Amino acid sequence: MFFDLNIKGSSLENNLKLARQAFEYGWNHINFSYNQNDFADALDLRKDLADDLGDTINFDYTLEIKSTNINEIRKFTNKFRNSVACISVIGGDLKVNRAVLENVKIDVLSRPYLKRYDSGLNHVLSKEAVKNNVAVELCFKDVLRSYLAPRAKLISNFRDIYTLYRKFDFPMILSSRAESVFDIRTTHDFISVFSQTGLTGDEINRSFETAGNILKFNENRGSMIFSGVRRVDDEA
Amino acid sequence: MKLKVLPPTLRKNNRYLTLDIKIESPITKDNLVTVIWDACIRFKGESITSNFNLWVMKFYEITKTDDYYHYKAIVRCQRDFVSEVRSSLALANMYNGTRISVTTIGLSGTIRASQRFI
Repeated sequence: MFFDLNIKGSSLENNLKLARQAFEYGWNHINFSYNQNDFADALDLRKDLADDLGDTINFDYTLEIKSTNINEIRKFTNKFRNSVACISVIGGDLKVNRAVLENVKIDVLSRPYLKRYDSGLNHVLSKEAVKNNVAVELCFKDVLRSYLAPRAKLISNFRDIYTLYRKFDFPMILSSRAESVFDIRTTHDFISVFSQTGLTGDEINRSFETAGNILKFNENRGSMIFSGVRRVDDEA
Repeated sequence: MKLKVLPPTLRKNNRYLTLDIKIESPITKDNLVTVIWDACIRFKGESITSNFNLWVMKFYEITKTDDYYHYKAIVRCQRDFVSEVRSSLALANMYNGTRISVTTIGLSGTIRASQRFI
């Protein structure tokens, strides 16, 4: 199964175009991401999207929190935790990276390398990611839209993250962050690009499994008492 | 005088990629050749690109929508470098200031077989 947890959501018409294109190119599940200001309005589109797409492709929503204020991130996380399949926070700021990886209620730290000269992760943050089960997200669009020296530096940052990933085994996901049909590629091309940057086929497959596991875990998050203990309804 | 054709064991092994191309403005086959070479040289460099044995075999105009012009093409590359070519082409995103998307929708060993993806 090919999961993409970060496709930039916008109007209904554009979402439909993106979803149809993604389905044509072999994706099985996509998440439309909206920031904290647009998310409430985006929930109104869900029914229309489901009607128009039918059984073609599974879709859901990701709340993408963009803020450098840690208290604000915590506030939005608590507010939307029970109504959204995936909560992602845009990284780049070291304080944000640390606060996100220490928060068990957040699913994804998106792009810890953003606007930085390094990968934004180290051994301490990697251990926190493992402990709190927060995934680190790498975006295809960052490679696609950059060129020459910035692209080379970005791929170098990716390689630093791969090294930490191999040692500490934190959850890692790969996503496209496509905004238009020009940013979507077939699943094979997507895999080829990441394999050329240094990931192995197994590691790429695991990243798709991780994305699926995040969605599965969040389906039951409401009935979770604490990690490993879940309230069940069936009387067996 | 023409060179004698190499025996099969000395020939290069080829693969044919079927490409799906979307672009905001119309392009010709020559423009596509430029896009492909630029993308490969930019991502993999001159040294590695020299192994690819690239050639645009066929070029098809499919449709024009409100958002983009849609083309398909069959491109030859060397068998052992398919992943490198795919990734390089996938990272092409601009041509002459217009957005472009090149993605591989099929891979096969003969031109005839690759035409079923058109």
